[in-house]
Order: sequence, then C-alpha cells, then structure tokens
Amino acid sequence: MNAFWARLAHADWKGLPARVARQWRRSLQFRTVITSMALSGVAIILVGVYMSFSISNDLFASRLDQVLGESQRAQVAAQRIFDSSDATDRASVQSVMNAARTAIRDASSSGLIAVYRVPGQESSAVAPQNFTSPELTAGVITESLRASVESGGGAQSWQSTSIPTNGRSAPGLVVGTLMDIPGIGAYELYIGYDLVQAEETLQFIQQVLWISGLGLLLLVGAIAWVVARLVVSPIRFAAETSERLAAGDLAVRLPEKGEDVVATLARSFNHMADSMQGQLTELAELSVMQQRFVSDVSHELRTPLTTIRLAGDMLYDQREDFDATTRRTTELLHTQVQRFDKLLADLLEISRYDAGSVELETEPTNVVQLTQDIVGSMTGVAERYGSELSLRAPGGHFEANVDPRRVRRIVTNLIGNAIEHGEGKPIEVEVDSNATSVAIAVRDYGVGMSEDEMSQAFSRFWRADPSRKRTLGGTGLGLAISLEDTRVHHGTLDVWASPGLGARFRLTLPRSQFIAIDQSPLSLEPLVPVVGGDET
Amino acid sequence: MQNSGVSTRDCPLWDNLERTGFTSPKTTRERKPMNTRILVVDDDSALAEMVGIVLRSEGFEPSFCADGSGALSAFRAINPDLILLDLMLPGIDGIEVCGQIRAESGVPIIMLTAKTDATDVVAGLEAGADDYIVKPFNPKELVARIRTRLRPTQITSAQILNIGDIVVDVAGHEVTRGGTRISLTPLEFDLLAALASKPAQVFTREMLLEQVWGYQYKADTRLVNVHVQRLRSKVEHDADNPKIVTTVRGVGYRAGSVI
Repeated sequence: MNAFWARLAHADWKGLPARVARQWRRSLQFRTVITSMALSGVAIILVGVYMSFSISNDLFASRLDQVLGESQRAQVAAQRIFDSSDATDRASVQSVMNAARTAIRDASSSGLIAVYRVPGQESSAVAPQNFTSPELTAGVITESLRASVESGGGAQSWQSTSIPTNGRSAPGLVVGTLMDIPGIGAYELYIGYDLVQAEETLQFIQQVLWISGLGLLLLVGAIAWVVARLVVSPIRFAAETSERLAAGDLAVRLPEKGEDVVATLARSFNHMADSMQGQLTELAELSVMQQRFVSDVSHELRTPLTTIRLAGDMLYDQREDFDATTRRTTELLHTQVQRFDKLLADLLEISRYDAGSVELETEPTNVVQLTQDIVGSMTGVAERYGSELSLRAPGGHFEANVDPRRVRRIVTNLIGNAIEHGEGKPIEVEVDSNATSVAIAVRDYGVGMSEDEMSQAFSRFWRADPSRKRTLGGTGLGLAISLEDTRVHHGTLDVWASPGLGARFRLTLPRSQFIAIDQSPLSLEPLVPVVGGDET
Repeated sequence: MQNSGVSTRDCPLWDNLERTGFTSPKTTRERKPMNTRILVVDDDSALAEMVGIVLRSEGFEPSFCADGSGALSAFRAINPDLILLDLMLPGIDGIEVCGQIRAESGVPIIMLTAKTDATDVVAGLEAGADDYIVKPFNPKELVARIRTRLRPTQITSAQILNIGDIVVDVAGHEVTRGGTRISLTPLEFDLLAALASKPAQVFTREMLLEQVWGYQYKADTRLVNVHVQRLRSKVEHDADNPKIVTTVRGVGYRAGSVI
C-alpha cells in the first residue's frame, strides 16, 4: 500500500497530458471509450438538469396547493370564531383572538403565525395587539406582500421566502389573507410554512439522479470498451498477423468465422496472404531454377570452350611454323578465346551473385601482405604503361577475417583500372586500419571522372570512355563484381574522382563478419590538395 | 595391352574414336618408350579427343571412357598411372566414381570441373581426388598438373623418417606403424613425407601447395585442408585429436613431435 502511494507521489503528473494525448493517438479503443463517455455525459447532464428542474417545479406546485388550502381552512376557522363571538371588552376580545390562534394553528398545522391590524383603521381601545411568531420577524413578511394582502380584498397572497429555523434559514412560503373581527376591524393573517421536507425530497432526488447518471456514464464507458474491444481485437489480431506475415512467416492466416465485416477482412487478408505466398514460392522456385540454369550454362559453355581453348593453344604454340596470315589468325583466335573465357567467367560470377548463391570463405588474412603481393605481381604491367606503383601502409598489419580470394580480386581490379586510366602517372596504394575496419585505397592521377560518370562507375558493362582502347582487356564487369565482393563482406566500396585529376577508389572491410564498420580509416578524398602538374 | 579389348566393350567412346580415325593407345604404346597411361573419363567426345591430342603430343598414352558407370571397369582394365575425371558424368557422377576408384587404388586423380562452386570441389576432394582443374584450362596448365602428380617424390634428407609412432620409409614408399603397413595414396605419402622431412618446421598451406601440389602461385588452400583431413583419418589414432599432423592455428601444419 505504501508502495502504491509512493508511486502515486512520484508519478509524472506533468507528463500526464502528454501520455493521455499519446494514448489518444495510439489507441482506437481509448478514443472510442472517451468519445462515448463524453457524448453520453453531455446527454446525461441535459436529461438530469431537465428532470431536476421539472421535479422541483412539481414539488413546489403541489406544496403550494397544499399550503394555500391549509391557509384557507385556517382563515375560515378563525373567521368563524370571530363571527360567533360577542366579546366587547378588551380581555374577552383577546381571549377570542387566542382561541382563533389555536384554531389557526390546528387548521394550518404550522406554528408560524403573524397577525397584524390592517393599518389606516380607526383605533379601537379593545382591539387586540399585533403578534408575530419569532421566525416571521425581521423582514420575512415583506412590504409588497402586505400591500398585496391589504389590497386583495380577502384573496390569498403568497410569497417565497426564507425562514430561519433551528439557527439556519430554510426556504419557505408565507401566505397572507384578511380576517374581519366584527366591530373591531380588519386584521391581516400571515401563516409561514417551511419547505424543508420538499427541499430534502428534491435534494434526495437530485442525488439519486446524479449518482445514477454517473453510474450510467461508467456503464456507457464499459459498454463502449467492450464493443470497441470486440471490434478492435480482430483488427489488432489482423495487424499482428500481417506483421508476422511481413516478417516472413508466410503460413499465418486469420480465422474466418461468421459473415460480418471482420470475417470479410479475414477472408481478404487470407486471400492476399495466399496469393503472396504463391508468388513468393514461385519466385523462390524461379530463383532455384535460375541458379540451376547458371550452373548448367556454366557446364555447357565451359566444356566446348575448353576444347576450343585447348585447340587454339595447340595451334598458337605452333604458330611459328605457319605462314603470316595463318599465324595472325591463330594469334587472334588465341587472344579472343582468352577474352571470351574471362567474359564468361565474369558473367557466371555476377549471375551467381544475382542468384544469391555466393558464400564468403573467410580466413585470417594479413591485408597488407595481400596488397603487397598484388602490387608486386602488377608492378610489371604498371611499368609497361609507364606508371610507378607504390604502397603505403601505416596500418592494417594484422589478420583480418576476410575472404582473401575476393579481396585479391577487388584490389587487382582496382589497380588494373588505375593502370588503364592512369595515363602513365604514378599510382598510389594505401592500406590503413582502425578499431573496426581495414581499408585499401587506390589513387591514380589520370583522366579522372565527372560526377555523372562516377555515379555510373559500378554499372555493368559501363565504360568511362567508349572511344578508348580496351587495353587491359577488361570485361566491363570488373567494378560490378568488385562491388558485389565488397557487399558480401558487409564492406563499402566508394569512389572520388575529378576530371583531369584522377580517381581514388576506397575499399573498406570490417575486421570480421561480426563487426560493424564505424568509420573508414582512410579518407575518400585525397588529403593533400591536388596541385596541377603544370604548376609544379 | 591385353585389356584393350575389355575396355572397348566397357567404354562406348572407344568405338567412336576408332571410327573417327583416332589411334588407339595400343599403337602409341608401341611407338613411345615412355608409356605413362592416363585414363580420361569425360562424356564430351570432342573435349576428350582434344585432351587426347594434347596428352599424346606430350608423350602420354591416353585412354578414354565416356560415362561414369563404365569408369571403374575401364580403370581395372587399363590400370592407368593417372586419371582425369570429369565431375559431371552420365550414369554415375564423377564424385562417386572417384570414391569407387579410391577404394581400390591410390592412383592420382585430377578432377576436371566446370563448376567453381565450393561444394562440388570440396566433395570431389573429400571423395579422394588429389587435385582439380577448372574448365576452361589451357594445355600447359593441364600438363603441368599431370606432371606434378606423376613426378617422383623429391626428398633429399634421411631415407627413414619418424613421426610419433609412425615410420616413413621414403625410398620404399612405405608408411608403417609398429610393423603394420598403412596404405596411403602417393599424394598423402608426399604430404606426410614433406611434413616429416622437417619436423621442426611449421608448413603454411601455401608452402605445402608449392611443395606437394607444385603450385607456384596462390591456389586453393582447401586442397591442403581436405587432404590433411584424409591423411589424419589414416594415420592418427584419433582424428579429432591429432598427434601426427598437428595444426598450428593461423599458420599451418607441422609434424607432431618425434618420440
């Protein structure tokens, strides 16, 4: 219990409106309940006010009737006593008056009586004194009531007022009439009635009204909650089911019960799920078929190509024995078969990626050593093109968990591209590492690329400049494959380039498959501002 | 020579080749003094013929078989020095053929595969193939692979090597444990002898690829992994807890300490 209060005390009361607003936005059920309760509340208040008003009117009217009747009887009884008396002296008149008072009290069942001699009459020595019950003093009987009684000529006049009883004032009525004491003069008779009982009744009725109104409101809220739940639950279930479906659980279905709108929803949903599952299954089958197709094409094309290659190479080895034309033919056959071979290998590789049938074979690899190895093997080619190939490795001297065959392929391809587009200028290879990743950058100072060309660089069969000679015999798939090789490592391969200033490709690989790359250890753009060759 | 008749019936390609004027190994063997016999198991007749031409030009004596089901009987009939085996064959597939032949003999087997998919290559190696060549290959590559597998072991140091309780007789090409002979394929013998010749040295996979398989450049290190597993299954008491050929994590393998 203490804990509850403590929680209540520490509850975030400031955040309450925000929480309610959030609940309002998020929960259809909450919204339904609140709306129903608000509308019902207005209706209940209107009905309650009307009922309370009309009941109080009715209570007052019936009490007034009763009061007027009683007052009439009291007046008649008193008048009869006066009429039948023959008292002349003061004492006997007074005793008659006292008898009348008793009669009035008995007839009116009210002790609040006031009798005033109508002003403006001849004074009489025997006329009884005015008297007033203490409750009717102090302005309870107003001048306007008295004026109305005096001019009424015996008709009853009444007035709502408040009568002090038991130290507090209660609503009441004062009814005034005229009495005539023969030979003495006219007297005003006022009888006061309190409305305490009617008031209590009214209060009780109002109390009952409000309590039942509140109860009704809660009931409406509860009903709205139940009804909303009846509607919302299937929708929520449908939402959860869609979520599971979206998450890949294709077998989930909604129960189809009845013929209502919820059942229609369930049927449509299930229909959708069926067709989706069907299409996905079909796609999966297609994918398997494609993989099989790739595999079959691989075998079917490679076998005849092997024969062609063996034959071509046999001829090529004997080319010195042929005449010039046949020799050239043999050489062309040889190089084009090699190109075809490379193109086929690249095509098969990329289609394997497309089929999603590529698996990474990682092993601890020293990326610097690997890069050194590649640089060493490509120095000869670079020199033939006039480019000096250099390696700088401030970091990366550790065993990264990568697939060395794929990394070798990427780096070889990047350096090959740099040689091809480097225009004989130096090529810089850089390796560095940080806590999460290892990066290799290849920079050339050749023709470079425009923004538009950069965005195309990784597209299949795209060439920077179609008019350029294909010197290194690239297939046009090199960078596309490199990009796939990088993706399968969860790494990034990006490019900076500027026309005339060369290009810089940066490969960033995570240290292992379970590490996310935080930031590449190498910058994409060259750190040193590029100075035009002519100025230096 | 006496078996050529059998192989003619077993291998449908035989007739075909003779019909197309292809010379049978019988005639070649008579001509050539060095008759290294190579069985080519491939269903593609043009490729088989072309491979035959290449082999013959290098002085080998090729025989042919066009399907998997006839391969084993062709092997028994010809008793070749080396087998070139296509992985995709009608009848029984190459991997199964490889297993069947390995059950009978340690003859070097080189797989010809059009698939570079890891699973096929590993399956072939696990079935006992010594090496593989991916199609398309060129003649030099093919011949180099074949020569490496046929060349005699070049161990210059001691003739009798000891690893643990294993005795390797290099000259006799024999491995024994407590006098009992352990049957190894020539490749497995080369691998074990290479490790045993320098027991103090840790061999990287690349070093073993160069020394045992004859690869001068970076090749598939799975060749080493698979064959070390096969070797262990024969020479170790408990292959899961190797004592003869131990793994040096991140580096490679070495021969277990000499007792």
